[in-house]
Amino acid sequence: MALKKLLQQIVLILFLSLIIGLGINFSLIKKYLQGDFQFGFISLEKYDSITFITLGEAEGLFSEGEALFIDSRPKEAFQTGHILGAVNLPVEEYKEEKALDLIFLPPEGTVVIYCDGNECNSSLELAKVLHQKGLIDIKIFFGGWIEWMREELPVSSENDPQ
Amino acid sequence: MIRNKYILIAFRLVVGGMFIWAGISKIIDPLGFAQNIANYRVFPEGISFFLALVLPWIEVICGVFLILGIFLSASALLLSGFLVVFLVLIAATLIRGIDIDCGCFGSLSGKVDYKLILTDSILLFFCLNIYFSPKMVQIKSK
Repeated sequence: MALKKLLQQIVLILFLSLIIGLGINFSLIKKYLQGDFQFGFISLEKYDSITFITLGEAEGLFSEGEALFIDSRPKEAFQTGHILGAVNLPVEEYKEEKALDLIFLPPEGTVVIYCDGNECNSSLELAKVLHQKGLIDIKIFFGGWIEWMREELPVSSENDPQ
Repeated sequence: MIRNKYILIAFRLVVGGMFIWAGISKIIDPLGFAQNIANYRVFPEGISFFLALVLPWIEVICGVFLILGIFLSASALLLSGFLVVFLVLIAATLIRGIDIDCGCFGSLSGKVDYKLILTDSILLFFCLNIYFSPKMVQIKSK
């Protein structure tokens, strides 16, 4: 009997949480079903300086040479190979203000952030930080290093001097 | 197991308070928490999103119930279950060498590390003590 009562109480708590959680976030659920969060769980209304770009767009920006490419992977991965001209801002460092100060970030220019590929999230995290720093044109290249390598686009394996 | 009613009441307040705080910090930023869950690379995207919307409410409701002395066994058992899952996830993350924020307290979260295992183990110890002596605490605290 005690077990039955316990189970009833657990079900009640879960049911209550389900109703409140889904009810309050109804608008988010609608957006999710419309495919708004296919690249990552980020509100693009809140982070209006962030956009997602494809390999073709990243390549276009690379050719124009106007955008700053930022690699958000760990230092070792960056040193092994990165997009030509990219600077490194690894996940374990970028949360510290000092790390951000070491790199010149164009407040009105375009930055393209990438990490490994679809499985990585550090580019998204870094984009949020840079948005808060006041950058107005942040592009996330979600295909990342994997797609860039696959297309055999220009890379460098040296650690670019900063 | 600890039987002292004052210690058990203190456990309820600590665990309840911690989970209310943890839950609220996630409720105010559901997308951030969904991303935190996704970062563990354990659940599919849809499940991460669903958990991010519902899980914080379970934490808050159980936390409030623990403090108020309502459904003590059920709340303590549910939170114990959560803590066991968190511990497994943290251990798996450390073994896999993934460097991520734990997502435990929304934007105030720290990194997944060994200290987190200690914190969650202590909370689990508190929770199990509450679960195994609910009647006594419930009656005497009223």
